[in-house]
Amino acid sequence: MKNTFQIRTLRNIPGLVTISIILLFMIQSTHSKTNSLKDLQPDLPMQAGSWSAQTGDRIFDQETIFSYIDGGAEVYKAYNFRQCLSRRYTLSGGPAIILDIFDMGSSEDAYGVFTHDIDGATIDIGQDGRYRPGWLSFWKSRFFVSIYMEEESTAAEQAVKELGRQVADKIAGHGPKPEILSQLPPLGLQADRIRYLHHPVMLNYHYYISDENILNISADTDVALAEYQLGNQAAQLLLIKYPTSENVAQSQVDFLNHYLPDADKKGAALLENGKWAVIHKKGHLLAIVLEADSREYAELLLKNIQ
Amino acid sequence: MTEKKHVITRRDFIRSGSCAVMGSLLGLPLVSRAAGQTTKKSRVVLIRNQRATDGYGSLDRGTVVQMLDNAVSVALGTKDPAVWRKIANPDDIVGIKSNVWYRLPTPPELETAIRSRLVEAGVKAQNISVDDRGIENNPVFKRSTVLINIRPMRTHHWSGLGTLLKNYIMFVPQPWIYHGNACERLGVIWQKPQIMGKTRLNILVMLTPLFHGVGPHHFSRGYTWPYGGLIVSTDPVAADATGARIIQAKRNEHFGKDRPISPRPLHIEAADTTFGLGNSHPDRIELIKLGWEKDVFV
Repeated sequence: MKNTFQIRTLRNIPGLVTISIILLFMIQSTHSKTNSLKDLQPDLPMQAGSWSAQTGDRIFDQETIFSYIDGGAEVYKAYNFRQCLSRRYTLSGGPAIILDIFDMGSSEDAYGVFTHDIDGATIDIGQDGRYRPGWLSFWKSRFFVSIYMEEESTAAEQAVKELGRQVADKIAGHGPKPEILSQLPPLGLQADRIRYLHHPVMLNYHYYISDENILNISADTDVALAEYQLGNQAAQLLLIKYPTSENVAQSQVDFLNHYLPDADKKGAALLENGKWAVIHKKGHLLAIVLEADSREYAELLLKNIQ
Repeated sequence: MTEKKHVITRRDFIRSGSCAVMGSLLGLPLVSRAAGQTTKKSRVVLIRNQRATDGYGSLDRGTVVQMLDNAVSVALGTKDPAVWRKIANPDDIVGIKSNVWYRLPTPPELETAIRSRLVEAGVKAQNISVDDRGIENNPVFKRSTVLINIRPMRTHHWSGLGTLLKNYIMFVPQPWIYHGNACERLGVIWQKPQIMGKTRLNILVMLTPLFHGVGPHHFSRGYTWPYGGLIVSTDPVAADATGARIIQAKRNEHFGKDRPISPRPLHIEAADTTFGLGNSHPDRIELIKLGWEKDVFV
């Protein structure tokens, strides 16, 4: 029986090799389409509704991005930004539509920079599209895409959405979200209200903790900040994954010392605004319910960390 | 992280009754006051005119220049036509620190008006310069004896607000090193020798302020509104704190709920409480409101 199987397997080797080569080619082909912005550039639309692409796309790197985005470039640097391609679409001298595609190097960071601004209505473009007055954003694979109109109009809005769909189609493949998201407890999780980051300034931007980095967040830590709503119970949960258990222990001590010195033995404290904060350590994870309507809901969340 | 180090946390703000917004701008005790800081009230003039602008991109030059003249006279406490001689004398070399952010720049009409008033006050034209990103190498700014600070107010990715205090960040060769912790340490720049004590006038342009930012470029015309105002003071901190209250109120009105400026504009309160550059607390600001009153917000 064993010999028969080996013989059949040997007979099938040429076919397996052929399939493998085809698969390798397909993978290589997919990668070649998303290898860099320069690879993507020739496939990008020349029209957005009645708006036409101006000649001369601009490419910015980690140094030159500051000349393009005044003030906000550090957001992209905080997510390991690699390059940005900017294309301008104009309509007979009128307000322009600006397409910016950011190569973030990984889908995790593309998702992360997308979660920097999650306001707006969800729209089925790319992975997790959002539309708000004047601006469409989405992420796909390792790219974050922003399409901004200088002046809002119905025609511009339609053009922006159509351009978004076309750009999303040109970006091959889908990228995985950060692994830490799978560890968030599902009970009441508002899936469209999650932030992912690994820089203390970004955390303070979304939820001010303190003027010092008391949670020791760095490029080596993964952080998810999630909003919860279960019935009439609301909460915010911060989940941090550290490289070592020593990092977790130290950060727990620092947080208790500076933020929750009044915590009880279970790491829970009633805040001055009537909300509950609870800190809990689990392996390389530090979980902090920052504000919960009740202690019961806070503890329920911590028990259900995946 | 040392256990003994004093860390300011969100709970300090919750304890004080509001973690919503701007700490000491709303009267929250934060850190010890800078040594030698004045207890004198700062005069801030908020002048508005409905005709100043119809909205983003429009400006009525005559109206706005008249507003400037009126506000400067009241801010400096004189109706003397030679009020600008209180700002600069004929021997002075004057740098007008403007802001060129192309989505909401300092209106050229105001830059021109300030230049004209200085010339009328006797300052030599060649000793006046308007600049923003080139100030480090600008010969007038290098020799300046007087600075005038003018910029529009807007929300800002890192500092919460683009303010008069923040406008001086171009005086340093590496601005980004001040971006940490929501640009809290911007006040340091004002203590540098080439700046300290030279600023005679601060003008916060509130014609069409940006009260909320979106996208990489942090801008949408939909988040500007025709406020039609100028805020003028010799105290940049007091002017910024007043502008911040207006922006916060507009955000709350627009979004229909408390929508804190994000990140908190820590640099305004720090300029007061840590660097002693002026007054941020409303109790220490003498606010004089002139002109159009509708939806004034302060």
